[in-house]
Amino acid sequence: MPPDNGGYMVAGYVVTATILLVYVVTLWRRAKRVTSDVTSDK
Amino acid sequence: MTEPRDNGLDRARTLSRRGLGISVVALAAFAGVCVLALGFTPVEARQGLAQKIFYLHVPAAWSSLLAFSIVGIVSILYLWLRDRRLDLFAESSAEVGVMFSVVMLTTGPIWAKPIWGTWWTWDARLTLTLFVFFLFVGYLALRAAIHDPDERARFSAVLGIMGLVLVPFIHLSVYLFRTLHPQPIVLKPSAPSLPWEMLRTLLASVVTFTLLYIGLVTTRYGLALGRRARETPDAA
Amino acid sequence: MADSVRLAVVIAAKDIRAELRNRTALLSATVFAALVLVIFYFSRDPTAVPAIVLAPSVLWVTFAFAAIVALNRAFTVEREHGAMDGLLLAPVPRGAIFLGKYLANLAFVAAVQAVTLPLFVVFFNVDLGSALPGIVATAALASIGFVAVGTVFSAMAVRTRFAELMLPVLLLPFMVWPVRWAVEATARLLDGRPLSELAGWLRLLALYDVVFLTLCIMIFGAVVDE
Repeated sequence: MPPDNGGYMVAGYVVTATILLVYVVTLWRRAKRVTSDVTSDK
Repeated sequence: MTEPRDNGLDRARTLSRRGLGISVVALAAFAGVCVLALGFTPVEARQGLAQKIFYLHVPAAWSSLLAFSIVGIVSILYLWLRDRRLDLFAESSAEVGVMFSVVMLTTGPIWAKPIWGTWWTWDARLTLTLFVFFLFVGYLALRAAIHDPDERARFSAVLGIMGLVLVPFIHLSVYLFRTLHPQPIVLKPSAPSLPWEMLRTLLASVVTFTLLYIGLVTTRYGLALGRRARETPDAA
Repeated sequence: MADSVRLAVVIAAKDIRAELRNRTALLSATVFAALVLVIFYFSRDPTAVPAIVLAPSVLWVTFAFAAIVALNRAFTVEREHGAMDGLLLAPVPRGAIFLGKYLANLAFVAAVQAVTLPLFVVFFNVDLGSALPGIVATAALASIGFVAVGTVFSAMAVRTRFAELMLPVLLLPFMVWPVRWAVEATARLLDGRPLSELAGWLRLLALYDVVFLTLCIMIFGAVVDE
């Protein structure tokens, strides 16, 4: 009978997905800000 | 003199767009891997559901070590060729690497607690990635603290190379410690003979995380080029 | 090659003489080490843990902190006096400059350790006995390595705004390892274990020294030159 530790599994997957998504989104926004608006300062 | 500036910015735009495209594909693959791991991979009898974190933790470690090695190698290339773009690429790899390190260092304890009964263990993988994390943080902190781009590039490269040279010593140390203090083998989370269903999920995840690394570094490198194109209008 | 070594010794001698003339750095590093020892002493529970068990760790943490203070001082003084600029303008091989700074730093760290060790014996009432030569050798082996890395990093850190903070941030991941091996070796020495049990740790220390000293000599030029 495998131990009942599904909570940890959920936590692990949620944390990973969150970190990845947050990074991708912030990176996308930073890249957009730098490469699109030619007239404004960095 | 906007022409060269636009060219630099153009290349930056292309790179970040391409990088984001790859990243989005990789994220979709990541979602697929999650489904695969959670729904279509057998549960490990002794460790239960928590063992499934393994399919994220190991590839994250792989990606952060990959990122770190690339920082080291590109640092050597920079000191040799002195091409500023190499420095920007190293910077990108370091930032992406630190993100993967954070994934690894959070999933590690979440996995260790139910499996080993303790939040942390000084095993080879966790120890190495912890130190890679410290080195990344030091690398990025050093870069943030230096304003002259040439000095920043040189110093970062020196640190990158020293860090790369340190890694084998960490391995040797952990190995020496282990041979002198054999750990009782309570549970072996990654048994050498993984059943095929588990192995294929792990491999799929490693491929996905590698793709994610490539996409993110490309995007971040594009960002770095764009920043540079703005600051120095007549730089290539 | 011999010229470089001679140059290095000249540079080191000059730095050491400057330090001896103005002894504040040496004194403050020693006082700092003594303070760390006292804090460790007061923070332990004498009934629960005998001093000898903690001894290696306490000794080495003290050595490590004192070394960082020492390394910081060396380059801060440098920056204030602009002494290195003159050296850099001359066609002096950068490896020789590194070696000179390194030897001076090593002498400084050794001096602090030489004062700290007796203090440690006194405060903690530890009988070193026959372990003393081994401990001195271990201290030398460990210091040779991390002072090399520390010399390169302090040259970089001194150019940043928060130099005193930057040096430990950069250096500690590199310093932890020789200190860890030194603690293992020291613990076994104090236990009276045979040399064979120490050999692995000492070998690692020696390998670290050779690799990093060589690397630092080669890479120092990239830090100080454009």
